[in-house]
Amino acid sequence: MNAKVLKDKYAQQAADPKQTVMSAYQNAVLRINLTKKEATIEPLRMDFAEKYVGSKGLVIRYMYEELKPGIDALGPENNLYLTTGPMSGTPIPCSGKLSVAAKSPATGTMNDCSIGGHAGIRVKFAGYDMIVFEGQLSEPGYVVIDDDRVEFLSAKKYWGLGSHEAEAMLIDQYGREFSCLSIGPAGENLSNMACINSDYYRQAGRGGIGAVMGSKKMKAIMIRGTKGVKVPNIKETTDRILEILHESCLDEENEFVFDVGTYAFLEGCQEGGIMPYKNFSDTTDSEWEKYNDSAVLPYREGKRGCGSCGLGCGNFIKMGDAICEGPEYETTAVAGPNAGNTDPAKIVKFNQVCDNMGVDTISTGDTLVWAMEMTETGRYDFGIHWGETDKMCEYVERLARREEGIFTDLANGVKYAAEKYGGFDIAKQVKGLEYPQYEPRGSWGMAMSYAVSDRGACHMRAYAPNEEVFAASVPPYTPEGKGQVVYNLGEFNAIKFSCCLCDLWGTVDYAIMAELLTLITGKEWTEDDMATVGRRVLNIGRAFNQREGFDRRHDTVPERVVRDKLSNGPAAGQVIPPEAFEDMLDQYYEVMGWNKDGTLPYELIRTLL
Amino acid sequence: MKITLAMRGTMKKKYGDEERILELPEGSTCHDALMSLGIDYRNNKTLGFVSVNKMRVDIHTELHEGDYLKAFSKVYGG
Repeated sequence: MNAKVLKDKYAQQAADPKQTVMSAYQNAVLRINLTKKEATIEPLRMDFAEKYVGSKGLVIRYMYEELKPGIDALGPENNLYLTTGPMSGTPIPCSGKLSVAAKSPATGTMNDCSIGGHAGIRVKFAGYDMIVFEGQLSEPGYVVIDDDRVEFLSAKKYWGLGSHEAEAMLIDQYGREFSCLSIGPAGENLSNMACINSDYYRQAGRGGIGAVMGSKKMKAIMIRGTKGVKVPNIKETTDRILEILHESCLDEENEFVFDVGTYAFLEGCQEGGIMPYKNFSDTTDSEWEKYNDSAVLPYREGKRGCGSCGLGCGNFIKMGDAICEGPEYETTAVAGPNAGNTDPAKIVKFNQVCDNMGVDTISTGDTLVWAMEMTETGRYDFGIHWGETDKMCEYVERLARREEGIFTDLANGVKYAAEKYGGFDIAKQVKGLEYPQYEPRGSWGMAMSYAVSDRGACHMRAYAPNEEVFAASVPPYTPEGKGQVVYNLGEFNAIKFSCCLCDLWGTVDYAIMAELLTLITGKEWTEDDMATVGRRVLNIGRAFNQREGFDRRHDTVPERVVRDKLSNGPAAGQVIPPEAFEDMLDQYYEVMGWNKDGTLPYELIRTLL
Repeated sequence: MKITLAMRGTMKKKYGDEERILELPEGSTCHDALMSLGIDYRNNKTLGFVSVNKMRVDIHTELHEGDYLKAFSKVYGG
């Protein structure tokens, strides 16, 4: 037992008279040194908060400040950050997310992940805007944060267990007032696809963030908070928040979130020509109705939303002996059509196994369907074929435990595997992060969105299908105007995620975000401020990566996308000409004010700091 | 000519989830079909895109006898 009670917290904050503290922040960063088993509290850098608001933007600014260029992402110099925003812990709808961030071992870029559930609110209620884990434990352990008390405990009996099993034991011991963030065997074994779980089925999924936690030998983080969040004029503020909840969040346009969740994307992607088929060799699946919402939702056993959620996207699906919260669109697509599988029960099983082993379903799925195509085409025999979803589940367990041979290689992700075994042209990844399940030949802006995303191929940074496929506003098969389209989408999401808002509140806009921030912080924010912060967040992420050696050479598109025409669906015949891709990049760099080689001018970097 | 029209997503809630058989003049487009129900894509915030026979098409695509037209609501997120 090694409990530390942090009694001098408010004295430390008071010792920094230079800061003007905005309301709704706790003005406290809990810094935990795992090597020394020490915990300290320091004031939040309010100058960072004024420029980057919170969550995504705030943590990237901290990482830029604290992580030296070139550090080993799995070494003690890398930090693991849990970051909230000013809206966290308030009744503002969809504000319950938590940013989990570190330098990525998969890509070498910065990596911020957004996890749902209740952990974000508990970090805030424990009294912190941010918790930073530095160094590494010498033995497997877990950390308990209970308001001002920090405790370091042995995780010997949990090490090697699945994430669900470990969380169940810990919650049983500590109670449901605690949130648990945990890793599975994949995180312990430093897989580039390892995720962090919370509330069993919510994940900080991408870029091997679970391996960073595993490198610190931290099986779990338990958090309880019993404090509140101070906002000015609480009655007026709360009344207005409730009005916005009803006027915008509960608008009929967002009802699909509760009704079907991300299953709503399935039919649109299928008939919009962007649902991937057999390792992105084509799009659309003639048998897709076997695993669509009509086929799966009759097996729904319950619904769930995150803390402060107004929408409740989560569907608990039980099919056969497997249950999961989901499967979300991404998991359905990668373990369904992209794997040549039409059995939804096997998709649920894949989801459950991935969650428990602690791997990201997107990256793991992509790596395994690539292995399937490699086997089917005789390039290399990985022993797994189209439709062998049971074997996918078996492979997930074996790669998570890093069994020797192909499994330890597959655990490193598709880029590593393709560099070793060949098949780089059909490996769908950018900067080492595997493609989400949107075929870019049917949504050209998505190719560029994947290419310029700050953490490798990510669909959450600028979701081009919203404009090119799911709405009639932008023609999908042209480079024209795509630099501005992707920029606009990226700027919006950058401030939205810096406010700590969920992606699925689709009708929120700059005016609402500015009004909410003004209400809770006591500082005037305008719509222009929202755009300015969004742009700044995009730039600071790029600046971090530039310092790590990234530039235009790394903003790439898989060879298949610029070489092979699609054969099926509404995007049949489409391929993105290489010159069109380069044109889109040029446009984007110009909109961003970057150099032709994708680097930021020094003067621009200076404005970010 | 006769075509079938179905609503998807939130469009079902607003305009009904039953399939409709529409009788339209030759040369009618997807836009014309929706306008026959008073749905104008230019000022309808719910309508996202349309598909004909399970393929996304432009709203001004001409319809043919027996076509199956779907009107999808917008979705957000990813």
